[in-house]
Amino acid sequence: MVKDKTVQEKLSELSELVAWFQSPAFKLEAAFDKFKQAETLAEEIEKDLTKLKNDIKVVKKKFDTE
Amino acid sequence: MENNPLQLTVSEFVALTNQTLEYAYPTATVIGEVTEFRISQGKWVSFKLKDAEAVVGCFLVLSQLRMPIEDGMKLMVVANPRLNNKGFFSLNVRAMKPVGEGSIKKGFELLKAKLEAEGLFAPERKRRLPRVPQRVAVISSTEAAGYIDFIKIINERWGGLAVDVAHTQVQGVPAPDQMIRAIRYFNSLEVLPEVLVIVRGGGSAEDLMAFNDEPLARAIAESRIPTLVGVGHEVDHTLADMVADVRAATPTNAAEILVPDRNEIIRSAHQQAKSLGYQVVQAIDEYSVRTKEQLNAAFRRIQEKLDEHFERLATLRLATAQLNPENILKRGYAFLRGEVALGATVEIETATEIAEAEVKNVRKK
Repeated sequence: MVKDKTVQEKLSELSELVAWFQSPAFKLEAAFDKFKQAETLAEEIEKDLTKLKNDIKVVKKKFDTE
Repeated sequence: MENNPLQLTVSEFVALTNQTLEYAYPTATVIGEVTEFRISQGKWVSFKLKDAEAVVGCFLVLSQLRMPIEDGMKLMVVANPRLNNKGFFSLNVRAMKPVGEGSIKKGFELLKAKLEAEGLFAPERKRRLPRVPQRVAVISSTEAAGYIDFIKIINERWGGLAVDVAHTQVQGVPAPDQMIRAIRYFNSLEVLPEVLVIVRGGGSAEDLMAFNDEPLARAIAESRIPTLVGVGHEVDHTLADMVADVRAATPTNAAEILVPDRNEIIRSAHQQAKSLGYQVVQAIDEYSVRTKEQLNAAFRRIQEKLDEHFERLATLRLATAQLNPENILKRGYAFLRGEVALGATVEIETATEIAEAEVKNVRKK
């Protein structure tokens, strides 16, 4: 089973795509596909970030005594 | 001698006095001005508290001293009154704090100077916080307004964050020790949180005094986990936030520093993708301009070559024309056909006529 990418991984992937456009590896033939990938990633990042909730837990340990 | 039924040895008297004191004043809270402050053998601290009419000796062990003290400071001590075996009465100090704005400020300045001299505020000690942490620890009172603001802002700004909260007091005498225990607890975990946040909302100088406690400041400075401290309002500066890796002006500001704004990230992600679209269009434009330029250059080159060839052709045409016998005849010359021998008939062709002639004489040139 393929592990779902985290938002962080998707953000890194988007940064890599942006960097590719600035790099000597840039090729017009591949650029359109990369652009579509970036668009899909941006959509997914929005979806992921909108639904993510923080998990806040108060630790059970008491700190009023040693 | 009076007939007194209670006859005691000195030791018994001291013990009974202490028992009575303990019963009457399990703890006494006394406020006075410090005089004759001294530290003996690097272990014991003694000073006197005085007011206009009375003086009382105070005693504690050095490790209990939570901030530098100087003669002239006004202190409130929580202490057990004791009569020792040498007959000296003193207050065994359990806790103390400066009282009044002047003394609070003095205590703060003394400790600040001490920690600064040790390099605890040095910029090179400061560690960077991860841009997007996934697991953080928070020390605060879960009932405090500052904590509630902090949680509200991180929930608005970000998601997917695991937050472990240590509920402690954030003001009053027990607060520093509770926060120190919480710092040690998080630092002892097998998997350390990525950031340790300490937050507390605004309050008076006295309310925030817990954050000017020397052992707490040292515990923050020694934390293996990078620290972010947001205490009070923007104008409040505590030693806890000075030794922290990152100081936040308020608990809200701590939340803003801790996590990015998801709306900003979403906007930025779309913006980045959009900018790539522009780059594709731009690249296509550049390619087409370049291709057009290359084609134009090729056409120019072909034209140049053709021109060269036409020029050459014209020259050749001229040369050829000059060699055309018709043109030679037109210039007045004539062709002679036949054998040039005495009596022979030859044909003479000019531009316009052909004549026959007899050879009457032949001589060598």
